[in-house]
Amino acid sequence: MASHLATDRSKTLLRVPGWRWPLAPVLALALGLFGFVLRRAPAAVAGTPWEAALDWLPALGLSLHLRLDSLSLIFALLITGIGALVVAYSMPYMQGEQGLGRYYASLTLFMLAMFGLVMAGNLLLLFVFWELTSISSYLLIGFRHEEAESQEAALQALLVTGAGGLAMLAGIVLIGQVYGSFDLGVILAEPTRLRAHPLYGWALGLILAGAFTKSAQFPFHFWLPKAMVAPTPVSAYLHSATMVKAGIYLLARLSPLLGGSIAWQATLTTAGGLTMLLGAWQALRQHDLKGILAYTTISTLGMMVALLGLGTAEASQAALVTLVAHALYKGALFLVAGAVDHETGTRDVRLLGGFWAYGPALGLVAALAALSMAGLPPTLGFVAKELGYSAALEWSEQAIASGGLALLVLAANACNVALAVVLGYRVFFGEPGGPWPRKPHGMPWLLVLPGLLLAGASWLVGILPGLLDGAVERAVGLVLPGAHAGHLALWHGWSLPLALSMVTLASGAGLYALWRRRPPAPCGEPRLSALAAYRWLVYRALPGAASGLTRTLQNGSLRFYIMVILASTVLVAGGTLVRSGLLSRGSLSSEAYAWPELLMTALLVAAALGVVLAPTRLGAILSLGAVGSMVTLLYVRFRAPDLALTQLLIEALTVILLLQVFHYLPPGFEEHVRPRRAALEIAVAASVGLLMAGLVLMANGVQFAPPIARYYLEQSAPLAHGHNVVNVILVDFRGYDTLGEITVLATAAIGVYALLRVRRRKA
Amino acid sequence: MSSLILRTVARLLLPILVLLSLFLLLRGHNLPGGGFVGGLVCAAAIILQMVAYDTATARRMLRGSPWLLLPLGLGLALLSGLAALLWGQPFMTSRFVSVPLPGGGALDLGLPTVFDLGVYFVVLGTVLLVVLNLGEE
Amino acid sequence: MTLHLVLPVALPLAGAILCLAFYRVARVQRAIALSSCAGLVLYLAGVLWPLLNGAGYATLRIGNWPAPYGIVLAVDLLSAIMLSLAAVVGLAVLVYALAWFRREPEEPLLYPLYLILLMGLNGAFLTGDVFNLYVFFEIMLVSSFGLMALGGERGQIEGTIKYLAISQLSSALFLLGAGLLYGLAGTLNMADLARKLAASGATPYTAIAALLFLGAFGIKAAVFPLFFWLPASYHTAKTPVTAILGGLLTKVGIYALCRLYTLLFPVHWAAQRSLFLGIAALTMVVGVLGAVAQGDIKRLLSFHIISQIGYLIMGLGLSSTLAMAATLYFMVHIVLVKTGLFLIAGIAEQVTGTTDLYAMGGLLRRRPFLACLFLITAMSLAGLPPLSGFYAKLGLVIAGLQSQEYWVVAVALGVSMLTLFSMVKIWTQAFMKKATTAAGAKEQLRPGLYVAAVGLAALALVAAVGAGPIYGVAQRASQQLFDSSAYLVAVLGR
Repeated sequence: MASHLATDRSKTLLRVPGWRWPLAPVLALALGLFGFVLRRAPAAVAGTPWEAALDWLPALGLSLHLRLDSLSLIFALLITGIGALVVAYSMPYMQGEQGLGRYYASLTLFMLAMFGLVMAGNLLLLFVFWELTSISSYLLIGFRHEEAESQEAALQALLVTGAGGLAMLAGIVLIGQVYGSFDLGVILAEPTRLRAHPLYGWALGLILAGAFTKSAQFPFHFWLPKAMVAPTPVSAYLHSATMVKAGIYLLARLSPLLGGSIAWQATLTTAGGLTMLLGAWQALRQHDLKGILAYTTISTLGMMVALLGLGTAEASQAALVTLVAHALYKGALFLVAGAVDHETGTRDVRLLGGFWAYGPALGLVAALAALSMAGLPPTLGFVAKELGYSAALEWSEQAIASGGLALLVLAANACNVALAVVLGYRVFFGEPGGPWPRKPHGMPWLLVLPGLLLAGASWLVGILPGLLDGAVERAVGLVLPGAHAGHLALWHGWSLPLALSMVTLASGAGLYALWRRRPPAPCGEPRLSALAAYRWLVYRALPGAASGLTRTLQNGSLRFYIMVILASTVLVAGGTLVRSGLLSRGSLSSEAYAWPELLMTALLVAAALGVVLAPTRLGAILSLGAVGSMVTLLYVRFRAPDLALTQLLIEALTVILLLQVFHYLPPGFEEHVRPRRAALEIAVAASVGLLMAGLVLMANGVQFAPPIARYYLEQSAPLAHGHNVVNVILVDFRGYDTLGEITVLATAAIGVYALLRVRRRKA
Repeated sequence: MSSLILRTVARLLLPILVLLSLFLLLRGHNLPGGGFVGGLVCAAAIILQMVAYDTATARRMLRGSPWLLLPLGLGLALLSGLAALLWGQPFMTSRFVSVPLPGGGALDLGLPTVFDLGVYFVVLGTVLLVVLNLGEE
Repeated sequence: MTLHLVLPVALPLAGAILCLAFYRVARVQRAIALSSCAGLVLYLAGVLWPLLNGAGYATLRIGNWPAPYGIVLAVDLLSAIMLSLAAVVGLAVLVYALAWFRREPEEPLLYPLYLILLMGLNGAFLTGDVFNLYVFFEIMLVSSFGLMALGGERGQIEGTIKYLAISQLSSALFLLGAGLLYGLAGTLNMADLARKLAASGATPYTAIAALLFLGAFGIKAAVFPLFFWLPASYHTAKTPVTAILGGLLTKVGIYALCRLYTLLFPVHWAAQRSLFLGIAALTMVVGVLGAVAQGDIKRLLSFHIISQIGYLIMGLGLSSTLAMAATLYFMVHIVLVKTGLFLIAGIAEQVTGTTDLYAMGGLLRRRPFLACLFLITAMSLAGLPPLSGFYAKLGLVIAGLQSQEYWVVAVALGVSMLTLFSMVKIWTQAFMKKATTAAGAKEQLRPGLYVAAVGLAALALVAAVGAGPIYGVAQRASQQLFDSSAYLVAVLGR
């Protein structure tokens, strides 16, 4: 009844399925941040960025420094705008799922983290947000937490991006060492200092490790397709439109610092180029809508990395425009794929077809976005592609190099075209390949509208590139200080890039024809791949090494533990002793050679050997008593009656105690140890004895300062009212020690009592 | 099983040993002795009863659980230390009074003596708690 | 002189004495234990810290005996940090134990032992005397032995015996070192020793004494290759006991190393850097690999203690003020987080009725709040920002690179990755995975369990948000350690 009322009310209020009131602040946050950024956009474009700073951890150079310049602006608008749309889309899409609180909390956390990442004016702060995006991504990929596939994919993404992140942290700290600051303003004010520094290579490599893992560059790309087990809005938002572009952002941001070297250029173009081609090729072999989208995302990310690697103004401009275009059309296409999946229960392109009949509005969105993906005018995708071609063509003086690069880009673009046809045409107008698991029934409008807005934006900016021009222009200046690129335009006139665009379309169409003739079949993982290497490492090598090592070391044998501890002590301390050469200088004072001491010592040694060698337990106990008696005698000899008396009583009590427990001890006394093991143990034991003897010899007669004991002898009677100095030390001078010792005694008694009581209770 | 002689000797020795232990405790400040040794001797006296008779008899002679000797001894030791705070001195600062002995001379008694008494009880309690409980196994 | 400085020892001792006296009255025992622990926290927050903020040091000459002859208690910022950690964690774990042990047969013995353990910890942090430090180490050893054996299961006895046997080695090395120092300098007061040893410069005698202490405290701290007792024993204890021992006890070894190396052996400190860093690296790696290999949540967390000790040793070994500050922050972080994790693991144990990760499961669905709590503390342990572990590790990484010890930084970062891996393992097995067994042992949990766990997790968050001010204190503490002249004046009066 109550729930009925509630649904009724939600219908009358907003008519949005899946609406929950806690979403209001989330949406408000996203929109608020969007508005915040938009309001400060003109200032950023004009080159007077908004800034705010707060000292956070000055000891380590971490400050809460936020900065909105035009490079940040482009990203921040995408993050907050798409964020709001994705939250809205999630309402109907995620309706009825378990754990929605966790879902929206993670999503909000991600949005804030990503927003902070692109606004950070301090490298450490950037890292803080960077890792937060990894964690929220982990939680979102693992959203359906009971499925093994989700668990594995989430772990994979976390480990790959996490490892890269840690490498990046090391790189950041190296940069901080060079500059004495982590503030981006300070660092970027003098970008050449790092390049002249011997640590430049390390810093570059470590930072690239972070960027490449995050942005799914070869050979770290494998986590991204697996991450598609996340709910589709998450894939659209994190794993296509924003988070995976964090690496691109980092490269663009640090390009003045790290860029311009051969190493930068070679690494970025190679890794980016490979990723671009590999992603495109793999995308053709996918039959899952999200698989196609994931691999084309990887391909486009590779293209952006390669463009940034070229290091020309045109290339940087092309990279940035590609980024915006991709976020818009790919975001839209993901949302479309999600909606289709939501309605039909499948994402398999071999089954899908003719969806137009059920969702013409969705078909329109798909078509708009696919046209941008294919790079047809008047979309932003077209503008981006043209820029990419001209950047490639103008990159090098040598026609072969630039021409070759342009051809590679063309190959990747052609795949994109073919797949755009699949996504935008085949799903809606093709022949269904089989029955769908679910029958579509009235799609909620919120599954359509966010995609429409994204795809529409792609067209709007394509038609009016001036909207983007100022920000991109300023951002290119940030990526390559002092560089200027031409204005953005939809129409560049009849030119070589346009011709290449046409060739792209033609070959894309050809590819589609081929694709249709032989649609992708499920294929196994190649035996030798980055993924296989990862799996070997995480599921075989690491656990194997870990349990092997642990079993060897922590083997449960107390004898072994004690032996290792003694042996390492002897090695370290004894080594120092031997090296010091002090042993030869040590001497024994003559009075120690008197015969009573010698005799007592000999008896003491004999009794000690008796403890070890006694064949029966009783013999060992009695020998132990003999050891104690000899020690008592030594005390007497050295005029310490208090000690002697106490020692004697303790010895007597110990023997009584041992005899009391005698009956409860297990019958076997002698342990059988293998001879080699026994030899080793004897050697260790003997070396411990030698070490002790050596220490005594060494220290004998060496004194840096007169002992304070004289004070006790002099002051005991006058100040402490006692003639027995030993007792006065025990109860007065150092009575605090005695307080501790009697606590030890009492505690030991409690412990023994506890053990005995348990025995009795159990008996 | 234990002989009559042993029982008789143990019975006879008990007061002597207890007195000896107190004597050792008190003279400790000036001559060999002290709370530790005193406690051990007293414990030995009671253990002797245990050996001569049995654990239950020894327990009965104790008139109470050895358990309470632990808080008693620790408490005496701690209080003897804290007493100094009453007159604004650091923990465990000593203070003495001179008690004239009948045979001439004087015995200096003070907070350290109380402390030593605490040691005596803890040692006694510890040994008895362990030995008596083991004896009852 | 600060008369009340004896309170951190006297208060828990008095509490323990009363608990022994009221052995049969559980309700009184509980009240005494709780008020002792709460009293410690109040004393530190209300009296000691305000005092130290002004003066920097507080001393007390026990028995009013002049400095090198009697025992002197000396508190600097390092001591105060450790005392505060012991008090806060002591209170939290006590609240937890009150709920856990309520009406269990072990309860009457728990409180006296627990308070004596706290007394031992506090005494060790307070003292300025080498032999007195030994005495308090013994108190900790004996009380922890008693606590560990509470319950009297066969496995517990076995673990406790290993613990006791290996700890005896540590005590022997400690005594040997102390004896050597006494023979050389004729004194046991740390400040006095510092002066006399400094006058004689770097000698092989002191080098060996330093190594003996390294061995003694290395065993206590469970560093490679002296750590064996820890994984053999800690997991066998009842979970609240594991929590207090795992959270605090090993750190006393680190504290003692900090104290003695900065004060007595500054000349050998830098010279033994490669030894320290080698130990640190091996401890981190062996510890974390041990954790990766475990399938039991308490064992896994126990191995992590070792690995995290490696980080502390690393900070100590780098021997720079920044590294020391980072080490102290790390200490604050790890004590709160590690104890918190044990408490959370205990709740999971009560809910599922097992500590075997493969038999656990379903906690994310059944206890979302517990899951949230675990996630925060576990990610903190793994060093993910913006949680406390990140600032701890960041400080060490910066200090390590500043000292150009690149390899050890690389090891530290790699280990941090594996830490994350093993935390995710717990998360996956205990929380994400579907429950494998039918609903576990106890459905009704006493609120004390959550109160304590939430308290520690909240403090870990405070340590993260307040990383700036805490690092400030840690830096001042570190400067005090590096410039010991003021300490010597405070203790010796000249």
